[in-house]
Amino acid sequence: MTRRFVFLLTAVLAGPAAAQQTGTIVGSVRDSAGAPVAGAKIEAVGAAFTLTGADGRFVLTEIPAGSVRVRVVAFAFRPDSADLTVPAGDSVTWTVTLRAGVFYLPGLVVTAGKRPESLENVAASVAVLSDSAIARHAVNTIDEAVDRVPGVQFLNGQINIRGSSGFEQGLGARVLLLVDGVPMNEGDRGGIDWDLVPVDDAERVEVVKGAGSSLYGSAALGGVVNIITRDIPEGIHGRVRFFGGGFANPPDPRWKFRDFTGIQGGASLTGSFGTDQFRGALTVGGRHSDGYRQQDASDHVQVAGKGEWLPDPVTHVLFTGTWATHQYQVPLAWCGANECANMRGLTFQPFMVSDADTGNHTRSDHGYLTATVTRTPDENTTWMARASWLRTHFTDFQPQAGNDYAVADRFGAEGRVVKTPSKDQTVTVGAEATESQVTSDVFHNHTQEQFAAYGETERVMGRARLTAGARVDLLADDGGGMTAVISPHLAAVLPSEIGIWRASAGRGFRAASLAEKFVTLPIPPLRAVPNPHLRPETAWSGEIGNTAVITPWLTTDAAIFQTRASDYISPALAGDSIQFQNLQRARLTGLDVSVRASPFTPDLALGAAYTYLDARELAHDTIPNRPLPFRPRHLLTLSADYVRGPASVGVDFRYSSRIARVELDPTDPRVAAKVLDVRAGWRLGAFDLRLLATNVLNYVYTLAPRTLEPVATVTMTATYVY
Amino acid sequence: MRRFRYLVLALVLGCNDGLQPTTICDPNLVGVCGHITFRGAVPDSTLALYIVAYSTFPQSRADLFNFVPFPPQQLAPPTPGDSVEAYSLPLLNNQYHWILAVWAKVGLNPADTANADSHLMEAGFYRDLADTSKPGVVTVKSAGTGDIDFVVDFAHMHSVSYFFPP
Repeated sequence: MTRRFVFLLTAVLAGPAAAQQTGTIVGSVRDSAGAPVAGAKIEAVGAAFTLTGADGRFVLTEIPAGSVRVRVVAFAFRPDSADLTVPAGDSVTWTVTLRAGVFYLPGLVVTAGKRPESLENVAASVAVLSDSAIARHAVNTIDEAVDRVPGVQFLNGQINIRGSSGFEQGLGARVLLLVDGVPMNEGDRGGIDWDLVPVDDAERVEVVKGAGSSLYGSAALGGVVNIITRDIPEGIHGRVRFFGGGFANPPDPRWKFRDFTGIQGGASLTGSFGTDQFRGALTVGGRHSDGYRQQDASDHVQVAGKGEWLPDPVTHVLFTGTWATHQYQVPLAWCGANECANMRGLTFQPFMVSDADTGNHTRSDHGYLTATVTRTPDENTTWMARASWLRTHFTDFQPQAGNDYAVADRFGAEGRVVKTPSKDQTVTVGAEATESQVTSDVFHNHTQEQFAAYGETERVMGRARLTAGARVDLLADDGGGMTAVISPHLAAVLPSEIGIWRASAGRGFRAASLAEKFVTLPIPPLRAVPNPHLRPETAWSGEIGNTAVITPWLTTDAAIFQTRASDYISPALAGDSIQFQNLQRARLTGLDVSVRASPFTPDLALGAAYTYLDARELAHDTIPNRPLPFRPRHLLTLSADYVRGPASVGVDFRYSSRIARVELDPTDPRVAAKVLDVRAGWRLGAFDLRLLATNVLNYVYTLAPRTLEPVATVTMTATYVY
Repeated sequence: MRRFRYLVLALVLGCNDGLQPTTICDPNLVGVCGHITFRGAVPDSTLALYIVAYSTFPQSRADLFNFVPFPPQQLAPPTPGDSVEAYSLPLLNNQYHWILAVWAKVGLNPADTANADSHLMEAGFYRDLADTSKPGVVTVKSAGTGDIDFVVDFAHMHSVSYFFPP
């Protein structure tokens, strides 16, 4: 009794005394344009940390009174810190304005390890595009934003990460697309529909470079792109977005193909409502484009929704869905010699389509539904279960060649547990199943099944962080025999005096898509024939990299990488037939270097990124060692941003060297790509106005065979957020 | 600031070498081919538009008759408004110092040279790329020589007297 009384007395007396020895830090985090930065991590070093809310505000309580160092990190922003004096029993306010940063991003990422982790602990090269970076670039689709990531290049819509995919007419991407962590590559062609998520619904995009098959399986051979949709804030909120603009006319009058200036425009509207338990958001939008070449008009309509249920503090249930219908004319190939009735005496007409393709257009409907349950029953355990359905349905309307169609359903399910048995170790295990079903006149009726189990453990040993893992995939077509593929992975991260070193090595693979295996299609004068015996293509990838903060205004990142691939799937000619075969052995060696600096003033941000790529097809049969097709050797991006109050201006320059080898139409002219973009913005409260002029020099170039890249385009975008 | 200007200039020039139009001559052509850019309204009094070549630049009015081919080749009437039309002109192997379009007015009497000054006009000619005030020199050597492009401006035609004052 006495002891209890003494204890109570001590507690009562000590309580006020303790309260008087601590204080509170309150404040807000905004970007240089004044917009709140949500999800920024605020840390009172050695005491506590919290995240900012949707309004950018934060509160840190029970901070020991006296001098304390606070720091903030957020996606796509440069970190910042300050020394504050916390008054006992009172509060101090810290308002911080973050400067944009693209290359050095010490925030949390979720893609590299299938769990949230600090970017500086990730052994892979990861680039993160925040929503503010996407907005700054004033782009209208996700792929336009991803195209600006160093080391990434799109060839007529097909993504290449460090030269992974080349150009295969959209078939069999060697990059896996995720939406909120759910695989979204098409069930029939294995390609990617980049319009699954409206650009304004993306909170950030994570781009993981290098093989990711040890966690993600097929298609993650060259990298993974994860589009993370916005969190839904509490209360009623809305967002309205309009954009409009026009395309420049051909720079040479002999290329003129119409008597008017092409325009594009569109609008989207997002509304959301959230309580502490239920949250929902809906986006509807549409856009039209006349296109920049003959027979290039398109119309796009989309509905996207997201719902969240938080029945208790440790459970999160997420539903997402979208439906998009895209109707577009098909420019296909430009006019080669004598392919148009009026060539105007030229050897090629890059703005006009071949007479044989006149009238072609496509309707593409696609959408998905996902349901994900995430639960954290204790601080050391998180489990997740999800189910998903992706449907794609295209019809090619071809007045002269006859119509083609394909309907594909991709069903997926995954379960995963992340366990932290000790503060030095994290273990991730999971299982995944996917079934793709296709009905088509060109791919016929087939199914593809994939079953997988994976595991990975990360352990902190001294200053080093080591990761080891593997995934086993079982693949089958039409319920037939299984093919097993094993994808191991090893990685390490080591902080040092000269930056953070990272190294990783792993095996990736891609199962042949149903389209590659079963396509039957006349391509005059050839005929595509099926090859049901296609094996998965595999690759060993490795990289060593370093991220360093040289001075407070200068950061660098560099990585050398190599991929050695076997059984690369590529089309091969045999007589009058063309067939996908496991032909190539390839070696891709390269270097990524990026520098980010804010010299002179924090309002100015300069960036430079360079990728050197030596992509070789290794000698086999009668084929000599030669360059892999559709891989430029040099990629260079330069950028500059200047922010002054509500106004901002920026410029981007992209260069890719002339592609050494192409497979189709090799005698066609091709040049290096040199594209200069200029942009400006004005933010006034909830209004945001952006002007983007792309390819301002109206540089005419091509990356994919007989496919003209966009000419000069001017776009104005206005956004209002409630 | 001057450095910045040079940088911008270098960037613009460096980015000005994208894909360019390339002319194809008929594989059987021995002569020249290219494009004529037509500017201005075609006069109502147009009889015809010819394209001819001179192996040496005429030194007198009398030399004006030394054109080839003979009879002169007539150009197809251009589409209304500014337009670009392809042409080809068969010529013998030689060097040509003046290739031009000649506008002929309704009422031209080929037998009467007295009305040539009022009924024949130089409408445009192929120019030296290095000095556009001078005619360009073209060599024909058993094949078609392409990209012989020039402008016909109906608002700025020149009579014979312009070249050879009476």
